[in-house]
Amino acid sequence: MSVQHVKIVKNVLAGNDQAAERNRARFTAAGILALNVIAAPGAGKTSLIVKTMAALGDRARVGVIEGDIAGSIDTEKVLAAGAWDAVQINTGGNCHLEAGMVQRALDDLNLDRLDIVFIENVGNLVCPTHWALGEQIKLCLPSTAEGHDKPIKYPEIFAVCDVIVLNKIDLIELVDFDRDFFYKAVRALNPRAPIFEISCRTGAGLAAWAGWLVDRHLEIEAAARRLNQLSPHIV
Amino acid sequence: MHELSIASYLLDSVEDQARQLGAQRVLAINLVAGERAGIVDEALQFSFDLLTAETLAEGARINVRRTFMCFHCAPCDCEYSPKVGDFNCPNCGAVGQLTADGTELLIESIEIET
Repeated sequence: MSVQHVKIVKNVLAGNDQAAERNRARFTAAGILALNVIAAPGAGKTSLIVKTMAALGDRARVGVIEGDIAGSIDTEKVLAAGAWDAVQINTGGNCHLEAGMVQRALDDLNLDRLDIVFIENVGNLVCPTHWALGEQIKLCLPSTAEGHDKPIKYPEIFAVCDVIVLNKIDLIELVDFDRDFFYKAVRALNPRAPIFEISCRTGAGLAAWAGWLVDRHLEIEAAARRLNQLSPHIV
Repeated sequence: MHELSIASYLLDSVEDQARQLGAQRVLAINLVAGERAGIVDEALQFSFDLLTAETLAEGARINVRRTFMCFHCAPCDCEYSPKVGDFNCPNCGAVGQLTADGTELLIESIEIET
C-alpha cells in the first residue's frame, strides 16, 4: 500500500457545462433565443416575462421554463398571459437550476413553435450565477427597491451577465436609489452589458427592451439558418 | 447554499479519477476555489461527507486554496483588491475593471492510497 499525490486540474462543474453546451446547441439549431433570468425573490421575474410578452406582441412566440422550489403558480400565470408553451421545474429545495434539469424540460417544450424561451431561475442572486443552463443570454434583473448597492453585495452576477434589466424604475425617488452609484459599481464589474431601466407596473422602458430582444432573436435565427445550411440533417 | 450540488459533481469526478488510477481510497482532494466561486469551505466538506459514505472518497479531506477577486486601474496601471463596499481604485478613485482572477473552481490534485 502506498500514498500517491496525483495532479489532475479539472473544472469541478465540467459535467454541468457540457450539458449546458448541448442545451445551447438545441436552442440555436431551433432558432430560439434562450434567456436565463436571474434575480432576487420579488424583483419581478414573472412580471418581466408577462410584460415582455405583451410588448413583443406578434413579433415573437414566447415559451417559459419555470424554476421554483415548489408549486406551479408562475407557470399558470405565464400561460394565462399568452405564453405559447410553459414547463414547470420543481427543484424540491435546490436553490438553483442546473443544465440537466433544463435538458429534461426541453423534451417537454414544443421548440418548433417558439422564438424566445425565458428560463426563470429560482429567486436567488448567488447560486444560479455559477450554473450555465444553455442560455445564449444571462439576464440579471435587479430592482430599485432592493437598493443601489446590489452590485457591491452580489458582484458575480453583475460580472457575468450579458444584459441588466433594472425594474421598478417608477419607484426610484421613493426608495432613494442612487443611480450614479449603481452604474459606477456595475461598470467596474461589467463594462459591456446593456442596461435597460424599466417598470413592469407603468410599462416604462419595455418597448426599447422588447426591441432589443427582437434584434437578438434575429441574430440567433440567422445563426440557425447558417447551421442548417451546413448540416441540414441535424434539424 | 449550492455546496451540496457542487459536492455531488466533485464526488463524481474524484471517484472516476480514483478508479482509473486503481485507488483503494481517496485521502484528500486539493481544490482551487476562487472567492468569486462562492464556496463556503465548511459547507462543502459537510455536504461532501454526507455523500461519500461507502465510496472510495469516504473520509477524504478537502483542502481549499483560495484565489481572490481583482481589479485593474488603467490610469495607475495597477491591480488591486477591492475594499469592502467600494470597487474604485484605492489610489486615484477611478472605476477599475474586473480581471478574471478568483473565478476558478478546479480540482488541482488528489491524494490516494493504492
